[in-house]
Order: sequence, then C-alpha cells, then structure tokens
Amino acid sequence: MKPFALNLPFLKTPTATALLPTGASALVFIGVSALFFALLGHEPFGLLWQVVLGAFGDKYSFTETLVKTAPILLCALAAAVPARLGLLTVGASGQFYLGAWLGTGIVLLLAETSGLVLLPLMLLGAALGGAAWSVIPGFLRARWEVNETLSTLLLNYVGALIVEWAVYGPWRDPGALGFPATRVLPDSIKLPTFLESRAHLGLLFGLVLAVGLHLLFTRSRWGLSLRIMKSNRKVAESAGMNYKLNVILIMAIGGAIAGLAGMCEVSAIHGRLQPGIALNFGLTGFLVAWMAGQHLIKIIPLSLIMGAILAASDALQLFYSLPAAIAVVLQALLFLSVLAVGGFLSKRKKA
Amino acid sequence: MHVQMSGITKRFGETLANDSVTLGLGAGEVLALLGENGAGKSTLMKILYGFYAADSGGILIDGKPVVIDSPRAAMAAGIGMVFQHFNVIPALTVRENLLLAHPDAPALLPTRGAGQDDWLGTLKALAPDLDPGARVADISVGQMQLLELAKVLNLDAKVVILDEPTSVLTPLETQALYKLIRKIADEGRAVILITHKFEDVVTCADRVAVLRQGRLVADQSSEGMSADDLAAVMVGGGTIRHADRVAAPASAVARFEVRGVSAGDAFGSISEVSFQVAGGEIFGIAGVSGSGQDILADCLAGVRALSGGEVILDGVAVHRGGDGRPDIDNVGYIPERPLQNATAADLDLRVNLFLKKLSRFPFWLKWGSADAETARLLEDFDVRPRDPRRTAGALSGGNLQKLVSARELTGPRKVVIACYPTMGLDIGATQAIYRRLFAYAEQGAAVVWISEDLDDLMHFAHRIAVIFQGKILGTVTREQADRNTLGRWMMGAAA
Repeated sequence: MKPFALNLPFLKTPTATALLPTGASALVFIGVSALFFALLGHEPFGLLWQVVLGAFGDKYSFTETLVKTAPILLCALAAAVPARLGLLTVGASGQFYLGAWLGTGIVLLLAETSGLVLLPLMLLGAALGGAAWSVIPGFLRARWEVNETLSTLLLNYVGALIVEWAVYGPWRDPGALGFPATRVLPDSIKLPTFLESRAHLGLLFGLVLAVGLHLLFTRSRWGLSLRIMKSNRKVAESAGMNYKLNVILIMAIGGAIAGLAGMCEVSAIHGRLQPGIALNFGLTGFLVAWMAGQHLIKIIPLSLIMGAILAASDALQLFYSLPAAIAVVLQALLFLSVLAVGGFLSKRKKA
Repeated sequence: MHVQMSGITKRFGETLANDSVTLGLGAGEVLALLGENGAGKSTLMKILYGFYAADSGGILIDGKPVVIDSPRAAMAAGIGMVFQHFNVIPALTVRENLLLAHPDAPALLPTRGAGQDDWLGTLKALAPDLDPGARVADISVGQMQLLELAKVLNLDAKVVILDEPTSVLTPLETQALYKLIRKIADEGRAVILITHKFEDVVTCADRVAVLRQGRLVADQSSEGMSADDLAAVMVGGGTIRHADRVAAPASAVARFEVRGVSAGDAFGSISEVSFQVAGGEIFGIAGVSGSGQDILADCLAGVRALSGGEVILDGVAVHRGGDGRPDIDNVGYIPERPLQNATAADLDLRVNLFLKKLSRFPFWLKWGSADAETARLLEDFDVRPRDPRRTAGALSGGNLQKLVSARELTGPRKVVIACYPTMGLDIGATQAIYRRLFAYAEQGAAVVWISEDLDDLMHFAHRIAVIFQGKILGTVTREQADRNTLGRWMMGAAA
C-alpha cells in the first residue's frame, strides 16, 4: 500500500473514471490560472469569474465565443484527421490561407454570378485550395518519405506570402488608401449568420464534419483500414491496402477543412481578403487536437473553451487593461494542465 | 542463496495462470521450467521478477519472506531476468546500452581512450568477439541476448531467469549459450530456463520442473530423462498427434516458379534465386538465420519490390519488379517475426484475423458471422487466451504465431509460404501447424517452407534447398539429403 494512495471507492466507478481526467484537468487549470492572475496583482477568482462572464456572460459574449470557436474547431479537425494515419501536420494556417485565397479568387472572378451558385462554388474552391496545399506534403511523404511535419510547417509561410502577394499586388483594392486588402466582397457571398450576431455557418460545418468524420472513422470499413495502416504499414500493405494513396487522401481531407475555415473567416468576418487573418487559429487548432487525443468528438468542447478564452481576453484587454498576450498564456496553461494531468493519470494506471 | 516460491496463485480474469505453485532453487543450480504454450511458465517467473503480483502465496529468500513488488525490488534481492523481447535500444552502441543499465556507471561517460572500456568486464567475458562500439541495430540476435545477459549479471544477480533463450538462436549460438549457462552456474548463481525445448533440458539443466495448465506436475532431477519422458510429463495423459508425411506429388509440373529473383536493401539481399515447386509439393528451404530468408519470403509473397526476375503462379507472372502486389486470396503467407510483420499489434484479435478479408465486409462495418468465425478460429488453432477483443500485441510469442497461422492457413490457397511457422511453439502446437501446412500440399497447393530445423525438413519436405548469403547453394530431394551435406552448404561450401 502506497502511503499517499487515494482509496476512495466512488473514484473507481466507470463514470468517475471517465470524468476524472476532465475534472482534474479543470481543477489544475483553475488553480494555475488563479495563481497567474494573483502574480499579476489581481484578485484571482474575481478575474477568473470575469473570464467566464467575458465568454458566456451575455448573448454578445457568447456569440463572440462561437465566432472564435468556428475556425479553431475546423483547424483542430484539420490536424486530427491526418493523425488517423499517424501523420503529424502543423499546416492548418497555410491551408487556411490557400483556401481563403482560392475562394476569394473565384468570387472576384465571378462577382456577377448569383449568390446561390457563387457561395457553394466559393466554398468548394476554398476546400480545393486547402486540399491542394496539403496534398503537396502528402505526396512528398507518400512518394519520398519526406517528413510531413516539416513540410507542412514550411508551407505555412509560403501560404501566408501568397495571400500577401495577392493583396499587395494584383487584387489590391485601389480604393483602400494603401491598405493591403482586396475590395469588399459582395453581400451575396456572405455566409448565413444566426442568433442575429456574427456567429456563422462555419461553426455548423465544423460540428457536422466532426460528427460525420467521427462516425466514418469509427464505424466504417475505411476507418478500420486506416487504423490498420497506422498500426503497421507493412502488414496493411501486404493485406492489399494502398498506404500511399490513403496518405494523400487523408492529407487532402484535412487540408480541405482548413481551407474551408479560411474562406469562412473571409466571407463572414472580414468581408475581404487581407493579410494576417489566420491569426493563431492553425496552431491553436493543433493544440486542441492534441489535448483531445485526436478524438474528433472531444475536439468540440475543447475548441469551445479555447474560443471562450480568446473572446474573454478581448474583454479583459478592454476593461482591465491586461495585455493581449493574456489569451496565449491562458491557452498555454490549459494545454499544460490537460497534458500534465493526462500523463500523470495514465502513468498511475500503468503502475 | 536459496529462493523459494511457495503456494503462488495468479488469476487473469477467468484463467487460472498459476495454481498454488511451490518451487525452490539453490545456488549453482540450473532449473529448466518446462511446459506447453500458455502453461503459466512466464507468468510464474514474472511474479518472481516482480512484474506481476501474485493473488496469494509468497517468496522466501534463504528462508526469510521477502516482498517483491517491482522489478527494482527483484533486482535488489538479486533476481534478474532476460526477456524474450529484448530491452535494448537499437540506435545506441553496445557499450552505451550496457552502461545505461549499469548500477555504478559514471554520470559522464568517457567517449574515447582507455577509460571507456572499464565497465565492460562482464560483457568481455561473455562475448569476447563483440565490438562494444557496434550499434545494437547491427548485431545479431544471439549477441543481443549476450548483451542482455551481461546487463543482468552487472546487477550482481544471484538468480538469472532466461525466458525461452534458445528460441531465437541458431544451433551454434545455442551451443555457446549452454556452455555459458553452465559457467554462470559454476560461479554459484542459480539459473532458471523457461523453455519448451527438450534439448535445453537434456543438455543444460540439473533439474526440471514441469507446469501444466498452471499446476506444477513434476519437479525432479533431469538426469537420465529422455525427450520422450519429458514429452510424456509435459502433455500429461494426452498424446501428441504427429503430422503425417505427404506423398510426393504425382506430376512434377511447376505450379509456382521463381525465376532469377533478386532484391535487397541496406540489411541484406538475395540474388538470382530460382526454383520450381510442383502442385502438391513441399519445398523446404534451410539455412542459418540471416541468410536472406526473410527477403526471399517477402519477394515470393509479393510484399516487396523485386530488382530482378519474376515469380510465376500457374503460368502467369504475378510479381515482376516494381511495387509488390500481394495476391491475398490465393497465397497464404506466414512471415518471420509475426509481431512486426504479420499483425497490427494495437488492434484486437478479430481485426487481425480478418485483416486480409476486409473487402468482404459492408462499408458500414457489421461483423455478424465473422464473430462466430473468430471464435472458431481461436478455438481451432488454440490461441490463448480466446478473447477476440484482446490486442494482438498482448499475446505471447507462440500464441501470436498461432494467430497468424489461423489467418493464413485457412481457406483455399494455391501457394503457401511459411517462414519459421513454428517459432516459439511447443511440440503439440508445432505438429498441429505442420498438419495444417502439409494439408495444403495434399490439396494440390505449392508449399514453400523455410525452417532452421533440419530434422523436420528432412522428415517432411519433398525437396530441400539451402540458402546462403542470399543465394541458393544447392537443392536435393529428401531421399538424397544427408545432414552433413546440408550442413556444409549452410556454412557456404559450394555444392
């Protein structure tokens, strides 16, 4: 018997075992962020409550949280989908830009077309743009074993530069007085919003994709074959599975989702293509995917929490004159709490 | 030092792995722990090594009860174990691997000069020829085992447990290991050999303890015991059903033909391999391990690209250059090292059994009759435990081998390629696999059987070829085969 072993029977029930990591992570996160606020010289729990209010306090806060959640959710899916084959991709922001770029290009080219045709066409273009940007590292990986983490990382910079080239160069709106951006896109391609707020259809795309892909991965024959390929490529290939093709396919799906996220932001939030729109969504999504253990359903609540932190930090910046970096710090604390608690618990389970 | 395990009982769910086993061992003694696959040998030793906790019973050292609740505690008590799956780091050198596990290793290692070999004493004594600067990835399995043994001896183990040490060794390496075990015992240490090979018991052990279904059924001096005596004790009242020889094929027309096949990578190669196998023929391939058997088998099964030549089945070239495209419906293939080469270790037994038949399932998976089929296959091939939801990686080596056979040796086949199909199996299970393998020859399939067991090859195969350094050195019919010629070919003497 270990001297400090917890031996509480209610902790051993299946429900408790399932909820323990979540509960423990939440407690640790609350503890360390309170400590962080205290170090900044604020009343820790009061400020924490302000964070909650800033994210969920009223309809405006809540819908702003949803606005931030949508791209994080999509980018997290973009990282978690290739992980089904054991691929570690960090390329969501580059794919995000390429999706935004191609989608915007289609709108600029066919501006006169009816929204009913143009909007789906724009989203399709965005998905194709993101997919294309992800298929490049996918192909390199399949054909020459090029490390996909590095190639996706590097393509992020190229993706951002392509958008800059477009908005400083050929697509620049002369009426924007030197501001690097395209002209404002027509209202016909603005994504439908709900709750009379900025919350847009992108969130619904994320939810449907998360649930749909989760079912596909866990219930379908293809999902099983992906698990086999991830577990042992050689065995999968000797059972007649096409590993290389599936690498390219799964990378394309992940990239398409990130590309979609890019166009949703342009269409629903910014109204035009401009630099810097990817913010940190790509990396935040990557962190969310890891916190969720690449589980597509668990990604949903975690994206919401990350979105909430982003939305609340805007409010804290405004009303408590805290620096903007507060969001990054809180996200990092959450990430560390979840990973540390997860690691600690799984180590105890083994012991 | 005297170690006594008394009244050890251990359950895994429904299975009783050890049933009040009492077993003692004194200094300088070599004890062979014998039993069929799944008899509870490894479990008992893992309890002694602190890997599992016994449900009841205890361990006494020199008459005093001790608590061994972790391998660390076992090592502190002077008990060390060398596992079947080695705990070595392939990317590091032999020296580095040794020092990692050395109790007195310095924090900063000298990277050159004389000082760096001060810690190698034990290894030098065990394996004078082994270069301590070699990467572990590049040394042979036998050498890895010596490295593991040196690590254990460095910890000043008074009791050394070896888990099926000879199952991965060539005959020569086995002989060397026997000598070494005697030497260790003469130093006053006790050695426990977990094994299912009678040869290990007869040549090496002082005493033999036999487990059957978790119970200790014999504990006696092994002096004067023959293999038949041991077999009788091991299987108890039951008898072993030996496989029958298959009559030579009526026609010598080639069904499976290998023409000038070459292939290879950084780890080895084969060149210009050619042979023909008739329908109904059992074609044996002998050779010391590492002669290119694994590459040849992969090429025949179509899972590896050929750099030259072609493989022909029923007059049609099925593999030629390029990427391999395995014919999973007509070719049964048991590769070597099933954990790495034939199973998805973190997926369950059911998935592993149907790995090659996924296309017969509907897109939205429904297992339906496959569940009953899984249960039947696990039963027929005696895979233990018979739990379809257990992951393949959790099976012991022998049971993993049976699992792969259950997948590859069922259903109609035109060709069967089996690479060491009985590795790690006890005598009963070995004969059961032979019966199934040779039944394919009886049904007219071409059987290619790669083995290291010359006696079995000379008994069952219709023809035997010898592979040496990636080339076929010679082929003889069973009638012409004699051990000396085959043995010389295996060492590279030209035919």
